[in-house]
Amino acid sequence: MLDDLKPAGKPLVAVDNLKMHFPIYGGLLRRRTGEVKAVDGISFEIFEGETLGLVGESGCGKSTVGRALLRLYELTGGTVKIDDYDIAHASPEALRKMRPTMQMIFQDPQASLNPRMTVADIIGEPLREHQAGSKLEREDRVLELMDQVGLNRDFANRYPHEFSGGQRQRIGIARALALNPKFIVCDEPIAALDVSIQAQVVNLLEELQDSLGLTYLFISHDLSMVRHIADRVAVMYLGRIVELAPREEIYAEPLHPYTKALLSAVPEPDPSIESSVERVILTGDVPSPSNPPKGCNFCTRCPSVMDVCKQVEPKFQEVRPGRFLACHLFEYPTPDTNESATNGAG
Amino acid sequence: MPDGALPVLDVRDLKTVFKTRSGEVHAVNSVTFDVKPGELLGVVGESGSGKSVTMMSLIGLLPSPPADVKEGQVLFGGQDLLKINPNDLRHVRGGEIGFVFQDPMTSLNPVFNVGFQIMEPLRIHMGLNKSQARARAVELLELVGIPDAGRRLKDYPHQFSGGMRQRVMIAIALACDPKVLIADEPTTALDVTIQAQIIELVKELREKLGMAIIWITHDLGVIAGIADRVMVMYGGQVVEQAPVRELFGNPQHPYTRALLQTIPSVRGARAEKLNVIEGQPPILAGAPTACPFRDRCPQRFERCDAENPVRRAVGGAGHDAACHYDFKAGGPHVG
Ligand SMILES: Nc1ncnc2c1ncn2[C@@H]1O[C@H](COP(=O)(O)OP(=O)(O)OP(=O)(O)O)[C@@H](O)[C@H]1O
Ligand SMILES: Nc1ncnc2c1ncn2[C@@H]1O[C@H](COP(=O)(O)OP(=O)(O)OP(=O)(O)O)[C@@H](O)[C@H]1O
Ligand SMILES: [Mg+2]
Ligand SMILES: [Mg+2]
Repeated sequence: MLDDLKPAGKPLVAVDNLKMHFPIYGGLLRRRTGEVKAVDGISFEIFEGETLGLVGESGCGKSTVGRALLRLYELTGGTVKIDDYDIAHASPEALRKMRPTMQMIFQDPQASLNPRMTVADIIGEPLREHQAGSKLEREDRVLELMDQVGLNRDFANRYPHEFSGGQRQRIGIARALALNPKFIVCDEPIAALDVSIQAQVVNLLEELQDSLGLTYLFISHDLSMVRHIADRVAVMYLGRIVELAPREEIYAEPLHPYTKALLSAVPEPDPSIESSVERVILTGDVPSPSNPPKGCNFCTRCPSVMDVCKQVEPKFQEVRPGRFLACHLFEYPTPDTNESATNGAG
Repeated sequence: MPDGALPVLDVRDLKTVFKTRSGEVHAVNSVTFDVKPGELLGVVGESGSGKSVTMMSLIGLLPSPPADVKEGQVLFGGQDLLKINPNDLRHVRGGEIGFVFQDPMTSLNPVFNVGFQIMEPLRIHMGLNKSQARARAVELLELVGIPDAGRRLKDYPHQFSGGMRQRVMIAIALACDPKVLIADEPTTALDVTIQAQIIELVKELREKLGMAIIWITHDLGVIAGIADRVMVMYGGQVVEQAPVRELFGNPQHPYTRALLQTIPSVRGARAEKLNVIEGQPPILAGAPTACPFRDRCPQRFERCDAENPVRRAVGGAGHDAACHYDFKAGGPHVG
């Protein structure tokens, strides 16, 4: 297998200038008074068989991106192509046909599971809906899926509330896998699990990827797990992607000041390393997505902020082969050249 | 740390059983622990090991049926919370004992806006009027790092991101300056920078108010950074307990040892395949008569099948583990 060449394949998912704004209503008449720019113009590709990690601060728009890709929202702007098919403008009927190939594992397991259905019914529901196999075959498939995600078969007739948080998350994963999808948006699929089961699920997702050629968007704030599973990593901040690069490069040498801060903040379980970790603590106000700052979104908290950053929005561009970045520091490399840089940018 | 101080919360021999159509689930078996003022007790353990059910049992939050808190004592402020009347218990809960649930979407009420949900306890437990409560609510939301807090009071839970809902829950739990904060996976949906901010906030409140904290998490990095003491659960029981450095440096239960092997790292080399603990967790269908970890344990011998080990002192001060094997002696424990 040409495993190492994965990202060189053809893009399965192509996102161009995606925007998702939510209206804000206010005043007595509940008039539209503004909007939350949850996702504000992002572009990226995910290659067939690849895992793209998506990380970033809480509220920066990760889940919204995931939902928009599967068109669980009507997009505000931009295009999303999956397998060359324009999802953003597809008819409801065409979408329904495509649904089995794209699935989502939700962040909130409780809210996404019907409390009146047994686990077997929940996992088997997509199979019934799309009439996959005979009744007996479907029952077998459900049990097989339960094995795969490490749920005891004896629990098949229990209801969701009878499970712990981590067990419920695995029900959601089994369900997403039922129809052998091609593309799965995994929204914090492992946050509620203990490390051993996290490892089981991540190993499982990787095995399925190898055997079935699955493609993942893996949303997580767990940077050590992302490092493990992702081929490339995209870092989001306040509705935009600020850096996108191959895994090893971004962990070895983060270029964006936000990525640097993010990586340095990871808690360290090994007491012998803990004391040697240098931390960049971010200060300054977290801006609101309904009122982002002028210039670079990160300028209110950036430790290396320059004058130009408060005026001009940095372009998201390829700064080295395979490495994308939106930061003025790269155009004006040393902070010492602040003065001239700002003058130069006018 | 507050050595020798009397515990503010003292839990003894707690047992909780669920009665389901498919039989009993013995989710919590003789769990005993305490926490002292100003102390942060970390709770870790396998998914399904009974961490949440333990905490829900002790403040009477499990619907009965199916739950039955069969035995035990929960001593708080000179009374047994398992015995006091529901009204008094309601006052303790949300007032003197703050609680952050594991699942924020189900514990926030979808039909009320977030402002109402923060202000309500402030008015009930602290006697604040509407404008005082509003000011305090804004302050609390700012403390947990929600931008534009004033405007967001009018928003409903579904308009917040997963991590923001979790922070709203934290704000509610902290609203009434509780003596004990029970936080069940409070930062799982938070990125590391906001998590660090929440942890700082909690540490500060602990210093300032002498608040005791029980922090349940799967993130051993967080535990290493904030806990004074750690309790490890497996199969509905406490299998090990120790001061934090002792636990990480000198684990004495085979489950704890295995758990510490499974952590991936952002620093150092990247493993090709992640370590897992092989095998399945126990089913908990009856009261335990043998060690719950035996099927997955590399140290297993005959006694493990015959007798459920009780916690005994091992290693340094304040360190105990429930295991028949003695790692120091390199063989079965005698005695
Ligand atoms: N209402 C219920 N009916 C039957 N069994 C239940 C019920 N609620 C919980 N359980 C069982 O009790 C056990 C303990 O659950 P608990 O939620 O305390 O686990 P946990 O340690 O918090 O796990 P996690 O880390 O996944 O949150 C689990 O095996 C679960 O399946
Ligand atoms: N239905 C909605 N209506 C209004 N605002 C929304 C809605 N859904 C999300 N938002 C807002 O959009 C922003 C991005 O939310 P999103 O859920 O995508 O964040 P996230 O990156 O997934 O965060 P987390 O890591 O906390 O889950 C937030 O400010 C949130 O409040
Ligand atoms: Mg999210
Ligand atoms: Mg739990």
